[in-house]
Amino acid sequence: MSNNESLLATVSLSRYFTRGSHTIKAVDRIDLTISAGEFLGIVGSSGSGKSTLLNLLAGLDSPTEGQILFESGSMNSWDRSRLARYRAESVGMVFQSFNLLSYKTAVENVAMALYFSDLPRSLRTAKATAMLERLGLADRLDHRPSDLSGGEQQRVAIARALVKSPKMLFADEPTGNLDQENSTQISELLTELNEEGLTVIMVTHDIELARKSTHRIIRMHYGSIVESHSGETE
Amino acid sequence: MKFRDLVEISGGNLRRMKLRAFLTISGVVIAIAAFVAMLSFGAGMKKNVTEQFDELGLFSTMQVYPERENEANDTLVNPVLNDSIVVLLSQIDGVRLAYPYDDFPVKVQFADTTLSCDAQALPLAAASTRMFSRIETGRSFESDSAFEVIVTSGFLRDAEIEAADSLIGKPLVLSVEVSSVDSALMYVVRESGKETFERIGNLNFDSLKQENFLQRLVSQEATRAMGNFVEGYMNARETIADTLTIVGVLDAARGRSRTEPLLVPVATARKFTSSGFTGDPTKMFSALTSGTLFADSESGNIRDYSRVTLDLDPAAAYQPIKDSVTALGFRSFSYAEEFDEILKAFRHFNMALSAIGLIALLTAALGIVNTMVMSIIERRREIGILKSLGADEREIKLLFLVESGVIGSIGAIVGIIFGWLITRIASLIAQSIMANEGVDAMELFDLPIWLIVTAYLFGLIVSLVAGYYPARRAARVDPVEALRTD
Repeated sequence: MSNNESLLATVSLSRYFTRGSHTIKAVDRIDLTISAGEFLGIVGSSGSGKSTLLNLLAGLDSPTEGQILFESGSMNSWDRSRLARYRAESVGMVFQSFNLLSYKTAVENVAMALYFSDLPRSLRTAKATAMLERLGLADRLDHRPSDLSGGEQQRVAIARALVKSPKMLFADEPTGNLDQENSTQISELLTELNEEGLTVIMVTHDIELARKSTHRIIRMHYGSIVESHSGETE
Repeated sequence: MKFRDLVEISGGNLRRMKLRAFLTISGVVIAIAAFVAMLSFGAGMKKNVTEQFDELGLFSTMQVYPERENEANDTLVNPVLNDSIVVLLSQIDGVRLAYPYDDFPVKVQFADTTLSCDAQALPLAAASTRMFSRIETGRSFESDSAFEVIVTSGFLRDAEIEAADSLIGKPLVLSVEVSSVDSALMYVVRESGKETFERIGNLNFDSLKQENFLQRLVSQEATRAMGNFVEGYMNARETIADTLTIVGVLDAARGRSRTEPLLVPVATARKFTSSGFTGDPTKMFSALTSGTLFADSESGNIRDYSRVTLDLDPAAAYQPIKDSVTALGFRSFSYAEEFDEILKAFRHFNMALSAIGLIALLTAALGIVNTMVMSIIERRREIGILKSLGADEREIKLLFLVESGVIGSIGAIVGIIFGWLITRIASLIAQSIMANEGVDAMELFDLPIWLIVTAYLFGLIVSLVAGYYPARRAARVDPVEALRTD
């Protein structure tokens, strides 16, 4: 449930890429406010700029113009180190291709997210184990990604994003590589997490999934928000 | 990110890329092993020379020589080293003992062997200095006037004697042939007296009134008399012989200072040398020009020495003693000064050896750069994941620097062990060759702590420098691009 308190906002946010003599406006003057506890769905066709917007909001990319405000403070003045701390403390990310390290076990992949905390190794492992157990992977702790199904891998990725207790979860096509059953499970998991108070921003092609799970959906086209409406959960 | 995590991640990556890591580390191992083995040889040589210098007391020894003749100003007469000067030198602060290098040619009869060599007169006090401390067997003199002799390893070699122990207590007949002014004059009178009287008998005394004839006659007779005197000096030699007991054998093979085959107590030696000139005619003319030809030989003040050795107090400052020697009109030489030059030479030697090791290390460094760049290309996604999880550029850079540091550390440690093994094998081979050649066994290699630390630091620093560029490149990986890679 959103509490209308602005957690993240953009002011005329733009991200341009130059390819030769062409300038591609991946994100073009977007004004957006995301409330704490909100589940925001970003939809649009390929190349509409939704992933670029997500990367900007997650602090992985820097805007060409405009501002991002986190908890009412501008992120534009942050140096790289502060941005890294933002990603370490406030942001959890889930990707379409899971982005797990193939040579690490499930628990090691999850514990990786706590490298940047001051926790001792034993505590990191304990927290990672607890998070995996919570997501139903208690019997998959020591399995490597190649031994897990797509849905299990994505749940490991979600566990990795959540283990550091972030304020926001950014999910970029989290069900894009999953079958229908696994997609449903992941979408239910994200909804459940949001209901527990986590702010979720999800990019997806799947308009039905967005409609079912989110409070609000914005549709992007050529870098701009062309439509914004409430989801079914609102 | 904790340092332990960085090391653990790096170790994990190296374990996953076993073959590549092995080959890269092998490059460092070979380079460090070469570096250690070469510098170990330099260190071993230096240690041997230092120990030899110290053992022989050369650090606390100074040699004093007469000044070289000044060709530009031949009117200057340089002071000579004689017994009075030896006393003056011994009175300089910091000088514990001054003794001359006093050698004389002798004939030695030992068992069935007769040979000619030089003997050196040595005061008892000098015999107990470290320079003469390498008594292989036996002992030193009992007194300055003892009828004893110490033979050196040079004598054993000349006399083809192998068992040094068998010599102790054996008699040795020492003889010298001396010429004196008396014997030369006697020769002039005995051999050419009759001839001179015959010439006087045949002389036309009226001719003596002619001044030119008189001058020519005097000149001819003076030249003839001088010729007869020299002939007499050379031919009318008297033999002085005595029997001395061999009391010790000195190992002079490794000494840097010249030591004659026989060492004779100073007062005993004087019995041989005080009866006349034992050397060649040049010594006689030298005595003539210095005005000591007719000096009292018993006073001991008639001999000039080519060198005087000063045994110094090890705690004494070297420069004031050198200045005092210079003030007396002599020049000095110290092994400590020579040692400084040797150290300089060793520094250059070590630098040359280091350069070879460093070239190998440079090649290994290129291997590290290659490995790390490959690693970055392969691990772009991992870098992107770490950045998305909160790693900053500094941490990514550190991660790759630690990885190259781990390569360098493992390579350096294993390289040091390999280098040490190489020196052990080379040492065994060298010892075996030395034993076969009959040379005294000596350790050619030394692996001091400073060399271990230097080798380790070299391996580590070169690896870190080699890893810096790839680490910087890794830190700049764009996470968005990296995460897009699948």
